[in-house]
Amino acid sequence: MTFGPAVGNVGMYVAREMLISVPEDQRQTYLRMVEEISDLKYQLGVEVARQLPRLLVEGDSERVARYLSQVREVAATGWKSGVEVAKQLPDLYDAPDETLAGAYVDIVSQATAGPPEDTETAQLATELGDLERELREMEPKVKRAQELRTQLAARDRRDEKRRKHAVELASALPPILARLRPRYRPPYLDLVRQVAAADPEASLEAADTLLDLLNGERVSPEGAAEWVERGLDVLERNKEVGRGYFRLGSKYSLQVLEELKEGLALKSVARVLKLYATALSGQEIAIRGTNEMQAVDVFGVDHIILPPEMHFFEDDASNFTAYKVATAHGAGRIEFGTYRFSLEDIPETVERLRARYSEESR
Amino acid sequence: MAVESQKVEDFRLTKEPYYLPLGNEIELFESAYNARLPVMLKGPTGCGKTRFVEHMSWRLKRTLVTVACHEDLTASDLVGKYTLRGDETVWQDGPLTTAVKSGGIAYLDEVVEARKDTTVVIHPLTDDRRILPLEKKGEIVSAPEDFMLVISYNPGYQSVLKDLKHSTKQRFVAIEFDYPPPDLEESILKAEAGIDDDTASKLVKIGEKVRNLRTHGLDEGVSTRLLVYAGQLIQGGVEPIAACEATICKPITDDLEMQRSIVEIIATQF
Repeated sequence: MTFGPAVGNVGMYVAREMLISVPEDQRQTYLRMVEEISDLKYQLGVEVARQLPRLLVEGDSERVARYLSQVREVAATGWKSGVEVAKQLPDLYDAPDETLAGAYVDIVSQATAGPPEDTETAQLATELGDLERELREMEPKVKRAQELRTQLAARDRRDEKRRKHAVELASALPPILARLRPRYRPPYLDLVRQVAAADPEASLEAADTLLDLLNGERVSPEGAAEWVERGLDVLERNKEVGRGYFRLGSKYSLQVLEELKEGLALKSVARVLKLYATALSGQEIAIRGTNEMQAVDVFGVDHIILPPEMHFFEDDASNFTAYKVATAHGAGRIEFGTYRFSLEDIPETVERLRARYSEESR
Repeated sequence: MAVESQKVEDFRLTKEPYYLPLGNEIELFESAYNARLPVMLKGPTGCGKTRFVEHMSWRLKRTLVTVACHEDLTASDLVGKYTLRGDETVWQDGPLTTAVKSGGIAYLDEVVEARKDTTVVIHPLTDDRRILPLEKKGEIVSAPEDFMLVISYNPGYQSVLKDLKHSTKQRFVAIEFDYPPPDLEESILKAEAGIDDDTASKLVKIGEKVRNLRTHGLDEGVSTRLLVYAGQLIQGGVEPIAACEATICKPITDDLEMQRSIVEIIATQF
């Protein structure tokens, strides 16, 4: 089916046989009328497109105008009534009593519109409209309230966990402090305080790890501070990863520690060195750190004093070799009596040597 | 124990086992043999007790029946028992009975490991009676003049539960062994492993140093036997430190720090 440019989209209402049944000189008018009525409601357009051809064939333009007017009138009160009226009205025009069509339209219009004095419905509709508008305006606020409720619940859970970990920390710290060497306590407390302020759970991990690091002299207090500082950066970005860092459970944490490590700790190799010295000298020898010098006799014959860390070299193997050389040297001094010499022995030694060498010189 | 399937003469040594005397042990043993006295060899593992008995067996031209005692070894295992053979019951001599009857040397190695009833069995053999009662058979075997009982044990292993009773100890002439002095140990290593003077000297020094760790975490020092093994591996082309680790370090301790300290001692020599 093809239509002229004025047809627009009325093709969706008008079937080919309908258009053919309209006199050719009125087809454009027909299509325009259908298009206008269909603007009110699609179903009206369909029904009017069905009924109009018979009216146009009659050639009574007044009746056509009246038909369209009455359909519009009824449709204004309710489109479904309008469709029914559009369907029935052409038959009523053929009735002997011409007033029937007008009465029919009035009755249907009034029945559809209801009593004109019914203001309550209009008020209700207005009120509903207002409420719906308000509800639409409230929607973002309700959504935000829900978000805030969720956030606050999460914060509440977090605070509960925080309080629980703070209690655990309160219980764990005193025994750790008792085990920690006294000189490391002030820097240790400062570092644990920093981590606890950021995350009590991470501070529990840090408390244990720092004890081992400092007591084992794996890092200096300055090194430990650097390790904590970098850990706090990690903690700020991600709590879980940060806790892993302070537990020494992350590759990065170990890597940082390796960077900060100050040589080979005597503590980690003391027993091997002790056994080595004992084997070399044939007597039991203890290994002591220079940090213990106040407590031991420096010239004692049962121990070798070595630095608490060895950092002559980059790698542990070479640092161990340095320890080993120092140990062998110490074991030699002990085995061959360097420290057994006493000032009281001098006269006797001189006499013995004099007797020996004077005999040999004779 | 497949003793019966072998002839007594199978236990005679035809080739002189290498043995380097460390003191007067050969004279003592010969005197004990001549006086028909049982001998007890005491000493740490791998110091040459068994080799000494083999050497003396060859030297005295006596057969040598060796029994490695273990915790399930009973008096019947030593003396003999009735066994079923086809449809009849036959008596089968144990290694001790075989040795007694043949007049050779019976050597009970690590005797304290065996069950207590075994020591009761050997008591009559160790005093002037020199008899072996075969209770199950109702027979008493008298030991010939040239029979000799030798036992060995390692005092370092013993505990309250496993020790020889005084009533047993005081029936034996005791010859005590220890690791050889360095010069003799070097000679032993050279003879047994075929290594040069320098390697032997280093191995002996390692042995000496490692033995210093006894009572410091090592139950026993490294034995001469292990030093010989090390020498044999080195002679066979194994790199010295690897050879020493495999023979000296790893067998004597599972303590990793102890192992490391021993490796350092080895590395100091090689």
